[in-house]
Amino acid sequence: MTGAELLALCRDALARAGEAHAEVYATHRARGCARFAGGELGQHMELDEPLATVRVARGKRVAEAQTSQLEVAAIVDAIARAAAAAPLLPESEGFPGFAGAGEPTAAASRFAKDTADATPETRAELLAPVLARVRDAGLFAAGMLESARGAAAVATTEGCARSHDDTIASFKVWALETPGAGGAAGYGGHMHQSLAALAIERETERAIRMGTLGKNPIELDAGHYDVVMEPAAMAELLEWLSQIAFGAPEFEQGGSPMKLGERITGERVTIREDATLDDPAFGFGVPFDREGTARRPVTLIDHGVARAILYDRTYAARSGAASTGSAQLGEAGGAGAIGSASLHMDGGDAASVDDLLAGIDRGLYVCRLHYVNGFLETPRAVMTGLTRDGCFLVERGKIARAVGNMRFTDSLLEGLARCDAMTRDRSAIPTWWTDGGSVVAPAVRMRGFFFNGRSQRALASIV
Amino acid sequence: MPRMLWFVPMLTREEEAALRATLGRLRGRARYAELRFVSERNERLRVRDGRPEQASTGGTRGVGIRVLGEKTWGFACTPDVSEAALAAAADRAARIAAASAPLARAPAAFPEAAAARGTYETRVLRDPFAIPLDEKMAALDAPVRELLRGGKPVSSASAWMEWVRLEKRLLTTEGTDTTQRFTYGGAGMEVHALGDDGVSQRRSYPTWQGSEGFQGGWEKLDALDLVGHAPEIRDEAVALLTAPACPEGTRDLILDASQVALQIHESCGHPTELDRALGSEISLAGGSFLQPRMLGKLRYGSDLVTLVADSTSEGGMGTFGWDDEAVAAGRHPLVERGTFVDYLSSRETAAALGRPSTGTMRADGWNRPPLIRMVNVSLEPKKGSLDDLLADTKDGIYMLVDKSWSIDDLRLNFQFSCEAAWEIKNGKKTRLLRDPRYTGITPEFWRSCDAICGPDEWRLFGISTCGKGDPMQIMQVGHGAAPARFRAVSVGNTGRA
Repeated sequence: MTGAELLALCRDALARAGEAHAEVYATHRARGCARFAGGELGQHMELDEPLATVRVARGKRVAEAQTSQLEVAAIVDAIARAAAAAPLLPESEGFPGFAGAGEPTAAASRFAKDTADATPETRAELLAPVLARVRDAGLFAAGMLESARGAAAVATTEGCARSHDDTIASFKVWALETPGAGGAAGYGGHMHQSLAALAIERETERAIRMGTLGKNPIELDAGHYDVVMEPAAMAELLEWLSQIAFGAPEFEQGGSPMKLGERITGERVTIREDATLDDPAFGFGVPFDREGTARRPVTLIDHGVARAILYDRTYAARSGAASTGSAQLGEAGGAGAIGSASLHMDGGDAASVDDLLAGIDRGLYVCRLHYVNGFLETPRAVMTGLTRDGCFLVERGKIARAVGNMRFTDSLLEGLARCDAMTRDRSAIPTWWTDGGSVVAPAVRMRGFFFNGRSQRALASIV
Repeated sequence: MPRMLWFVPMLTREEEAALRATLGRLRGRARYAELRFVSERNERLRVRDGRPEQASTGGTRGVGIRVLGEKTWGFACTPDVSEAALAAAADRAARIAAASAPLARAPAAFPEAAAARGTYETRVLRDPFAIPLDEKMAALDAPVRELLRGGKPVSSASAWMEWVRLEKRLLTTEGTDTTQRFTYGGAGMEVHALGDDGVSQRRSYPTWQGSEGFQGGWEKLDALDLVGHAPEIRDEAVALLTAPACPEGTRDLILDASQVALQIHESCGHPTELDRALGSEISLAGGSFLQPRMLGKLRYGSDLVTLVADSTSEGGMGTFGWDDEAVAAGRHPLVERGTFVDYLSSRETAAALGRPSTGTMRADGWNRPPLIRMVNVSLEPKKGSLDDLLADTKDGIYMLVDKSWSIDDLRLNFQFSCEAAWEIKNGKKTRLLRDPRYTGITPEFWRSCDAICGPDEWRLFGISTCGKGDPMQIMQVGHGAAPARFRAVSVGNTGRA
């Protein structure tokens, strides 16, 4: 369905339901996912993801209902369910009512016809040279090529009416020494609005290069290392930072490291939420939130100083602030989440990753991270995780040897306070936790980052 | 009143006919095909600090179609259960399989299986969907009030419950026709205390959010007694603010049953997934250190350690009648008296090892293909109580309830932190410790297990948020566990890196 069709459906359902105060947010995503592993295309699927979420208010009593049936009767039924539930609930303190017409959303293009029109044959044709190239390099290919078309719409009885269409094309590729038993692994990835613009060949070559370079790793002891983190590694850390730091609920409960007006990390660090960019390489995300509020660019950390947090309408009303357009569907499609949709970390002035490495006498070059967890000590943003798909010892400014994967445990904000260089170039990385979101990050050099886990030993020595 | 569409429990006569017609359409065009109709109804409620933070009902309904073509698979789906929509989805699935065939080296192995027929239904004494909403909200409001009683330094408290009713009908070209009706539930609470230094501490009950699930009805929520346990976790959260940090070092470690459940999940459940071991899950989850050549040989744990995949456990979140490939539920040891002996597998992956499937293929909805998922992967109990175990420990740390979790892409190097710990000296709990963490290497850790408590301490936990696949799928899985002791483990705290 298109955004316009969804909006018509939302408005029709509201009109037929006859509730005085109601909101309908509908989304539909059609995804073509070609997932390959062991050098073969084994999981190829087309997924249909329809969802309508309605809320009905009786005063400040607000109930929610959902349906995956994008039909008027089903949405009217959901509204009736929410209407029946609302009077039975306690009041939601600060609920300001549903959004009205509001300010216009950013006129950002998010749609590429070639992505929307992609077929199973298109995806298979694009992948054939990838599988062949990785095989010819003596490695095993794994990854996924996705072409997705999405639409969203929101309508309220108070006059809000918005719709949106987008496409996302993404490519992830691994070049592996073994199919699933560890060993060297190289990764490449890219996302863009247009399938045709994906740098598939470039990223495949990168994965092969790093996979080859990663063979015969050495072991390193735990300790503090100067480190260069690639954009994919930084993006995962930033996504966790967003989860523990930037939302009004975390701020209100006292778990967030954001202390507004205070310096909380290094001067080089500026992090913004901006889903308004009109840029096919970096512009992702729906320009309005689930409540219909136009997403606003928000500078969260400005040269190391905490400046702002993200609000939905209710938390904003309680705090005397304005919604930043950051209301999201929460866990399992439920309510209550506030978060970023398109996070951007400003870059620095280094021309390349090699320039960052040149400033390291002895340290680590980390391509990606795995299983990061940021719940250790949220007021300091202490996180743990492991390297994955490329971890290298850097000596005298050059990559010297591959290193077995290592565990880090450190405060991201304290690490970034020791950041002394970043690349100018940045990459957009798809978010891990929310489909359709992105994190744009540069490669970053931090001094003295703590790796507390000795590097992963060869399997044979453990078993 | 509008027609009640929230939960149309099963298929209408027309939809039934449409499914059968579509299956007929695929016979002869595919080596194998399955149509999986799923209808879900759910309810999620949460009260935070006296305010309703979530009061949501939901429903979803549709059909997933998986087709095995000449060489490989195709999957498509539709929320529309009409004959025209199903035919179109079936054609798309077949087209995807055909388009993918040139990129497969050899035809996927998929041994034939006898047709399965029958029904499965969760045992429910009191239907949670028949409980009035205001009664449910009151059941959450009461523990939150108790947690907030006394005010500062308690800064926030919340309680939640979740109910899911899932109807699943599976039809295959092999003649399978099964109907399953699941009722999943979960409930819990947490409290945060905030110190003058701006550092907060959390305690949860019965365990961390997302792992308190079960199959069953309202009777299981009653048994949790949230209100009765509120004072204990509130007082402990406050006490943690001034407790010393868990000391760094190598100590004997006792884990409570919930933490053993998470340890099983991360370091046994996931690495015994055969798709991971064979490399099919690289694009997201990773591989596995447990490789097929190690079957029957690898000392995964000590002689005490027997881990079983059991999809028949009463009330488990990983319990069912048949998996999504029509393999009947069963009980399969994965680790037997310390030796790695089997995998969680599918018909296709098991065939690669010349073994039968252990029946673990499940999809998290109609719009996802099935994957190998944990069922109830449980540690067999041994003997004694937790008190006996603590009394038998001269110098150790007892950790309880998970706070953070992280493990590498082969499931070897793990680090977990817990909400609280107790120092154990000469068999006694001597002092509360904050911010505890422990780290280890999977087989070394399980080989160091020298005590597991008995059946009276064993509990079946349910995790409702297990993520796997790409795109991500969320699945309900179960873990039975009892408190256990591990010798000479690296422990410390999360406070200072």
